[in-house]
Parts: sequence; C-alpha cells; structure tokens
Amino acid sequence: MKEKSKFLKPEYLENRELSWLQFNKRILAEAKDKSILLFERMKFLSISASNLDEFFMIRIASLMDMVHAGYNKKDIAGMTAQQQLDVIIPETKEFMTDQYTTYNRALLPRLEKCGLHIIRHHEDLTEQQAEYVDEYFKRNVYPVLTPMAVDQSRPFPLIQNKTLNIGALIKDKKNKDVVDIATVQVPSVLSRIVEIPSDNEGVKTIILLEEVIERNLDKLFLNYTILSAHPYRIMRNADLTIDEDDAADLLKEIEKQIKKRQWGEVIRLEVADTMDKRLLKKLMEQLNVGETNLYKIKGPLDLTFLMKAYGLDGFEEYKLPKFVPQPVPGIERERGIFEQIQEGDILLHHPYYEFTPVIDFISQAANDPNVLAIKQTLYRVSGNSPIVASLARAAENGKQVTVLVELKARFDEENNIVWARKLEKAGCHVIYGLVGLKTHSKIALVVRREEDGIRRYVHLGTGNYNDVTAKLYTDMGLLTCNDAIGEDATAVFNMLSGYSEPPAWNKLMVAPIWLKDRFLKLIDREAENTRKGKPAKIIAKMNSLCDPMIIEALYKASAAGVQIDLIIRGICCLKVGIPGISENIHVRSIVGNFLEHSRIFYFYNDGFEDVYMGSADWMPRNLDKRVEITFPVEDDKLKQEVIRILQLQLDDTLKAHILQPNGREYEKQDLRGLDKIAAQDEFCKQAMKKKSKINEDVIKTVFEPAFHKIN
Amino acid sequence: MVYKTFAAIDVGSSGVSMKIFEITTRKGYRQIDYVSNIIELGSDTYANGYISQESVERLCDILLGFMKKMREYDTVDYCAYATSAIREAKNNMMVLDLIKMRTGLTVQILSNSEHRFLMYKGLAVKADYFDKIVEKNTAIVDLGAGSIQISLMNNGKLTATQNIPIGALRVRERLKTLRFGNAQLVHVMEELIANEIDTFQHYYLREKEIKNIIAIGDEIQNLIRIVPELSIKDNINEEQLNAIFDKLISTSVMDLAMEYKIPYERATLLLPAVIIYDIFLRRAKADLIWTPSIDLCDGIIVEELERSKKLTFERNFEDDIRSSVFQIAKRYRCNNLHNHNVTKIACQIFDKTKRIHGLKEKQRLQLEIAATLHDCGKFINMNNATFNSYSIIMSTEIVGLSHKEREEIANIVRYNAQQLPDYDELSGSIGDCDYMTIAKLAAILKVANAMDRSHKQKASEYSMAVKEKQLIITVDTLDDLALERGLFKDKAEFFQRVYGIEPVLKQKRSM
Repeated sequence: MKEKSKFLKPEYLENRELSWLQFNKRILAEAKDKSILLFERMKFLSISASNLDEFFMIRIASLMDMVHAGYNKKDIAGMTAQQQLDVIIPETKEFMTDQYTTYNRALLPRLEKCGLHIIRHHEDLTEQQAEYVDEYFKRNVYPVLTPMAVDQSRPFPLIQNKTLNIGALIKDKKNKDVVDIATVQVPSVLSRIVEIPSDNEGVKTIILLEEVIERNLDKLFLNYTILSAHPYRIMRNADLTIDEDDAADLLKEIEKQIKKRQWGEVIRLEVADTMDKRLLKKLMEQLNVGETNLYKIKGPLDLTFLMKAYGLDGFEEYKLPKFVPQPVPGIERERGIFEQIQEGDILLHHPYYEFTPVIDFISQAANDPNVLAIKQTLYRVSGNSPIVASLARAAENGKQVTVLVELKARFDEENNIVWARKLEKAGCHVIYGLVGLKTHSKIALVVRREEDGIRRYVHLGTGNYNDVTAKLYTDMGLLTCNDAIGEDATAVFNMLSGYSEPPAWNKLMVAPIWLKDRFLKLIDREAENTRKGKPAKIIAKMNSLCDPMIIEALYKASAAGVQIDLIIRGICCLKVGIPGISENIHVRSIVGNFLEHSRIFYFYNDGFEDVYMGSADWMPRNLDKRVEITFPVEDDKLKQEVIRILQLQLDDTLKAHILQPNGREYEKQDLRGLDKIAAQDEFCKQAMKKKSKINEDVIKTVFEPAFHKIN
Repeated sequence: MVYKTFAAIDVGSSGVSMKIFEITTRKGYRQIDYVSNIIELGSDTYANGYISQESVERLCDILLGFMKKMREYDTVDYCAYATSAIREAKNNMMVLDLIKMRTGLTVQILSNSEHRFLMYKGLAVKADYFDKIVEKNTAIVDLGAGSIQISLMNNGKLTATQNIPIGALRVRERLKTLRFGNAQLVHVMEELIANEIDTFQHYYLREKEIKNIIAIGDEIQNLIRIVPELSIKDNINEEQLNAIFDKLISTSVMDLAMEYKIPYERATLLLPAVIIYDIFLRRAKADLIWTPSIDLCDGIIVEELERSKKLTFERNFEDDIRSSVFQIAKRYRCNNLHNHNVTKIACQIFDKTKRIHGLKEKQRLQLEIAATLHDCGKFINMNNATFNSYSIIMSTEIVGLSHKEREEIANIVRYNAQQLPDYDELSGSIGDCDYMTIAKLAAILKVANAMDRSHKQKASEYSMAVKEKQLIITVDTLDDLALERGLFKDKAEFFQRVYGIEPVLKQKRSM
C-alpha cells in the first residue's frame, strides 16, 4: 500500500451520509422557501420524505448490517459504522421534526387559506361529511381490508415494508379482562387522499384514508371494543446484496430476493406521537424495535401523499405551469433522423428540449429496412416505454436487437423483469448485465447499411432511456455517427455480451477499468499546466462526489493553483477552503424544479478545451463497480454550447446553494449586488425563445474562463 | 451496393476470434467488428490428444454467437480456419463435423505452413513499416500456442521458414507437471528452448546477422499491455524486454490478470512467451523486436481479397513462396540453370494447354515448385534420387502450401522419373491428393525435363502451339537434340495418355 497521502486526512473529508443529509435539507429548504409557489413547496416536502425513506432502506440499513457483522473499518472521514449511526440517527430525527414543523406551521395554514382543507382528525368531520365518509368506507374500503387480531393463538402478522398500518388496542366484549392488539393495513391500492364534500363553497376538503379507516374500525372487529387506534409504519432493511458467484441464474435470484425483502429487520418504526403507550409498547415488542429506531411523528405518517395532493385538480395559480420541452433546434421531424445525424452531431439538453429525437432514433431504426442491428442498454424505463415497444418491433421486423437490461437498478427489479421478458418474447437478444458489475451506461447503437458501406449511429446520454423522467431530470445527450465512437460503441456491446474486452478505446472513456485513470490524468494535466505557469481550469457537474482518489487529485490540483468549480447536486465528501488544500475549489448545488442529473466535465487543457459528458459520478461505485461511459463532445459548436450550459449554472444566484469553507453546511448567496439568475428558468426561457429563431448562432455567448483575471 | 462484408474466423489453440471486414472497391477494406473468446482447445489436444466433448460444446456456443454477430452486418461470406489444436487432435474430423451439424459453419483445417503464411500475409499488408524493415535481415517470430515459426527475410524476400514445436501453451503444459520456482523455470526453459534455437541457427543463420525481429502471435500484445509505464509503440528493445521479464517474474499471474485485465488463462502464457522471445533476441543478437498487432483474421482477409481479386497488393505473395522454395533448392545444391530452364518450359506448356488441362493458378505454382525441387534428392545420393527428392519434399515445410499440396508436389517429382501407377494401385498411398493433378502436372514436368535432359540449356527460345491433336514444341537451336529426342518419345506417350494430345518436338535452326 501507498503511504497515506497528506491530502486524504480524515478531517479533510466529509462522511457521505452526513453530506447526503445536507442534500435533503436543501430540498426541505425549498419547501420552506416563501418565494416558491405553495404547491411546489408541498412537492419538495414530499420529495424530502421519499428521499429519506430510500436513505433508510439503503444507507442506514447498510450501516446497521455493518454493525451487526462487526465490521469496524472506518470511512474516509474516519468514522466507524456505529459512530456514523450515532450521529446520523439523531440528526435524522431532528430533520423529521423539521419536516413536520414545515408541514404543520408553514404549509397547512397556507393551504387552508388557498382553499385546501385537510381534515386532520376524523373527529373534526361535520355530520354530513361523516356520513359521506362512512358510506365511502362501506363501499370502497371495507372490501379490501384484512383486519388481523393478535392473541395467544394468532401471532403478529408480517407487516410489509413501507406500508401504512393502523394498530389498535381491542377488548373482547365478552371477556372483559383481556386486552389484545389488532392491526390492519391501510390498503395501498386505494388513494390515500379521499375528497369529501366541503361545508364552504370554493373550498376543497380532503381526509386521509387512515382516518377513514380509524373512524370505522369498530366495523372490522365486531366482537371487540376499540380502546385506541393509531397509524404506524415500518421500514425494513432492503439493501439487496446478491452474491453473483453463487447465483447461476441472476434473474431467478433477483425474483427470490424481492420476495425475501419483506422479511428484513425493522430499522424504523414511525408512530403518531399521540399513540397509546400500551399499544406502542406492544408494537415495539412485536416488531422488535428499540427506542433508537422509534420515530414519533407529529402529523400524518408518510408525507409522500403530498405528491398526490399536488395532483389535485385546480389550484393552478399555486403551481408552476408545466414546462413543455421544446423541439430541438435544427431537427426537422419530417426528415429521417439518420440523415440529419450524418449532417452533424446533435446535442440534446433535456428537459428543456424534447426527448423525441431519442425515441425517433430507435423507432425509425426499427422500421428502416436498411437498419441491420440495434443495441441498447436499458436501466430504468418508463411504464409503456415507447423505446421498449420500438425495440420489440425491430426484432419482429427481423433486425438483430440486443438489449442489456440491468436488473440491479434499485427498486426497479420487478419492473425490469417484465420488460426483459417482453423483449425476449419479441425475439430480442436480452443480456442481464455482467456478473459483479451494474451496467449504468446509457448507450444505443444502430448499425445501418448504406450506399457506401456500414454506418453506425450512436446515442450517448447522461440519463436513462425514460421518456417520463426526461421531462423531469436535466440530462444531456449526443447523437453521432462518428466512426471512432461507433467502433467504441460496438466494442462496448461486445464487452457486455461477454466477448473479450478491446485493448484500447478510440474516444470513449469506459468504467470500470479505464475511466478513473483517465479522469485522474485529466485532473493531473491541469495541475501540471498550472505548475508550468499556464492557465488551468476544471468545471465538473455531477450528482455525487465521494471517490477518495479523485478528491485527492482535485486537492492536489487546487493546491497547485487550478481553479475548480464543482456543481454537485447531492453528496460531496470534499471540503472547500482548507488552507493549502482546497482553497481554489468551489462547490455549489442546484436544487430546482427539475432534478439535476447530467454529468459534465470540463478541462481547460491549455486552451484546447476538453468537454466530456457521461453516466458516471465521481463515486467509487460508479468508477469501480459499474459499466459507465463518458464521451467527449468534439464538435466545436456543440462544445461551446455545453460550456455555456455549465457557465449559466455557475452564474445561478437563486437556486444554487454554496458549500461553506471547511464544513458541510450549504448556504444560498447573498443576493445584494447580484443579478437574480435561476439557471433552470433561464434554460426554459432560452428554449422557448429558440423556437422562434431556431438557427441562432450559439457561439455568440462564448465562455470566458475566470482565470484570465488571475494571470 | 458497392460494398460487401466478410467474416474471418480463427479457431485457434488458445482462443477463438472473428473479425468482420467491410470491403469496398473504392476505399479498400476496413475492420468493422472484432470479437474474441478464450477457449483453450490446445490444452485438450496437447495433453490428451483429443478435443473434449465439453470444449466442442463451448466452441459451438461461441461460434453460434459469432453467427449472430454476422447477422448484425448481414454478413454471409466467411472463412473459418482451425489451426494446430484441432489439426493435431485425433478426433479432428469428428469435431469439424459436430461444428458443421450444430452451427452450419464449415471450418477448414489449415496446415502449419498455410497458417503461418496467412499470418505473414496479414503482417505484410497491415504493418506499414514492414517493407522497410525487411530490407535488412529480419526474423519473423510467430509464437503460437503449440509451436513457434521462424521465418527469415532478406532483401525484402522470404528466404527460409522453420517450425519448432515450442509454443507458449505447449511449454506451459509441459512445465506444469514439473514444479519449479520462477527462477528455476527460466533456467529449465532456456535449456529446453535454446537447444532448438541453436539448431535452427546453425542451419539457417550461420554467419548472418539478424537486425530485426518481428514478433507476431497471441501473446505479444499482452506482453506490451503489462508495462503501460514503458509506453511501447511499435517495438521493444532489449532493456524493455528485460523490464517485462522482471515484472513477470515478480508479479503473480493472478495479479497480472487483475491489474491489466488480461484473461487469467492468457496471463499464464506470458512467462513462457517472454522467455522464448528473450532467448531468441539474445541468441540472434538482434536490436529490436517489432510488435505489430496481427492475428490470423488479418491474414484471412488478405487471402480473401486476393482470391476475389477485389484488391491488389504491392507484394506478390507467390513470389515469397518461390523465393523460399528457391532457397530450399539452393540448400540441396540443385542445378540452378537446369531447374530454371525446366521450370520455364513446364510453365510454358502449362500456359499453352490451359484449356486442355483446366488447372488453376495454384497448380501452376505447384508445377513450378516441383520443377525447382525435382532434383534435390541427388544431394543425398545420385542413385535413387527420385525417391530421395520425394522424401525431402515430404519432410520439408514449404510456406503457403497445405500438406496436401506439398504431398502432390512430392508425388509429381516422384512420378516425373518413375512410371505413374494406376489409380487403384496408387490411391491408397497418396492420401487426399488428387490423382489427376499429379498425373497432369507430372506429364508436363516429364516433357519439360526431357527437353533439357543434357542440362545444357541448348535453346534460349521455345515456341509452342496446340494444333488439332498435337502440341507442337519448336526448339530454336543449332545444337544437336538427339538426346532430348530420344527421351521425348517416351515422355510424350504418357503426356498423350493424360491429355489426349501428342507433344511433337520440332527443331528450327534460325541462327
């Protein structure tokens, strides 16, 4: 082993979970932000809740596993798993308190004012409303409920992960001394939000399903008296670890794991803070939960219902108008996409511009008699994906279709297995990923027979082939028929199909083997240039940064004097402003209506600017354990366009949270003396404008690196 | 469509690979896809003599994958060659049939000399520095799984080639049973290999200085891959080779495989490979080892382009065969002038009677070789020279020829002097050889040989014409042709039996 670098001292690095919690705080901050439309705030609160659920299921669960396994290795910030839990759990509880304060104090009164009345307790219903609710219960809810009483002869049932349940203390009407507990799941097939008649005009009134059930609980346990009833919710350890060496058939193994997942250990029990103590005690016993993992909630459990509330009809003035992705400038839908790619590379910037060219790319390939083969990776696809349909059609049209379906995409396994089967049936050659490596790269290859020979068309992207998320996530894509990239794309699929790896790549940087080295070299090159007195600059945008080797290289580059701007949405284990280490690094995180998702890397390279985009974050899992592709943008016009996109995000003053020196807190900028710029809004505006003057030259807004000032 | 695609498949001893090429009349050819899989057929054959059922199954699976790949480019034309592992396997015919039945692919077995010659063709076409390097004395060291082929080039011409049964996989298998430490291993291998190389040197190199070595074969690229720090481009010098050597000695195979992403099986072949190269470099006192990235597929496409006449190459590969045959003749001190004259006459007859014999270019080359080597047995003993010639040819590798082609040549030479037995009598002892090829070419050689019976090259010009049922050969000479005439009658009879026309010798005295 190498000597520990002076750049990688634990105090120079942030724990990734704590950094992640900061990220979720930034989301919650949006929910608190009064300058944001009310319903949008509600959405942010909902997102912070679903994020937290996932954080529990994966990260906290995994830390707990480590503790159980007696794994004592420290993370990069020098903390053992137990030490991390000791900090994270109280911080999480604090965070949840903050969420509910936001809900109760900031959102509820304002929702009330704008005409959305949420009935918090069924006791508050008017007589007329109560009648409606009871009728609703009888007709819609009662038939799907499965009440379960627990006594000596009936054990406590299996409570499913993430489901909402009602626990009750019940007393036998005949045998007055015995108090038992009962539980019933709030059915997830029914809408959590029940709209009921309002007593005031112009007001929409809703009640949550659990309140409806609670009110009618006596109808479920006819021979019992209900002493008290309260909702609760559990979270189980769901980190899916598959031993691929043992699993002969990966698919079967994953199907098995999905079933197993329900049986995991309970790592979080959420209950209403008003819950009867006796009931709480019994639940904790039955679910084997201690005080640490108990979360008492002041309000409705599982705030993700707010996303549904967002979707309620009306209230348009409290929601942002839906942005419609604009047609990509220069692309004519009437003309074949291949012909247009031949004329030059096409840059895609979602969701400001349409995802349609990508859908057309596959769909036209499926119908084009000259297309011989289509190959694509699918990681997370939408329900009813037009791309999946096109691929199936292509196979039916006799084309050679190879699809790599990644079954290991978190929580999407069930969904993916369905697509995989469907594609197989249509005659596609479906590959289920490489053993030990998750295929995260987003690449599609079309082999087309043309007049003068075989030509390969490639789409490379930073986001999944998902037409739905393409309207919500900011992603970049490139359509090209560059020969060198085409050869590389073929080699990528050969590698994924189990053939030998190519000895070298022309243009693409491919993880797990080659990518990290290349990034390190590119960073070092900037450091080297700055040592030679040349200007040097790095701009990198990604979702997470926690690879120690990359951080080390960035610290070294910063120490050498390279100006480094990082735009990192989520986790960032790097600290800024450490004297002599990271004073030249600036980190910002943009939280906006669209989920920032693209990964873009810029290196000044002594004036020969290099721009790369891709699927990989600077995380060990991306660089070492996944198949990732990062690709260069070489066309000068497109390169300048990408640089302009980066620059606008660096200019963002409204939605950017700036990482503070030597800490993990982020703060928004003081707006005094600054133009108010929200990059996402600007991109929307520009896209709308482009529609009218499509062939406007983008080169006009040339990016001028800031280092000119230093020299 | 002005292009076509072609798949070249190499069923090798340590792996199977396929390259798909696109051929256009305008732009030449380019490789559009390359896939390979590791399957060590050689370790089956070299250890047990047979290819196992499991290996055949796996091989078929891989080939089916290749065929899927071919469909991605709508590729119909292909050429699939198997080399030493299948060639030397006792069940090779069954293996080929199993492949045919399961996949529909026809795989042909290449003789060692054909295999090496294809590698050579790939090299000559693909390595752009080739022509320049081979102006000086150069040894092409083609290290395969089962054996090593050393070919010498001088003044741009191929002069000698020799196969030595020391291949990376074979050496590894041989050493597996003996447990050595790395240091010992090197010593043992050096002894094992050096002897063979010294022998080669004694017969072929003598005082000649080898300037360059061109290393081709499966392992050379992986050797370069384990030393990225040396940033090797086109060639390796002795110092760099030592660095590779040191790294191999000091690193475990597992680590090498992991670190440099070389399949484990391949990594185990690196040490034997580098030892072989190292010994050769030191013994031959060469300066540089050139390391072009060449495999059999590159040779297959060159052959295909030659065959289909889609492209012409600067280098005439038949000339390479001729020059190496000429070197063989020289070694056995054949009469150069006589040979040359006989060859010239034989070819002239061949060309004039094309329509009658219906033979192809390759057979013309066989005729040339037979003419060049027909006397070589005299080196051993002037008595029974014919049979000695036959034996020499049977046990000499001739580059670019299949075993069958060479055996035909040996028979042509043999029945040039002896009477050709009946088909029934001969068929049992000539294997796959085509009786009629032997008969037709022997008939021509007999006549041509008779024309220069005195070995005096009495005429400088011969004119020939087919008129009705006669082949009229007019010799322009003032010399007496009595000796030739005497023999001619005999030979003409046989010729007439084969072709149905009678050669007639006429003399013209025009001087």
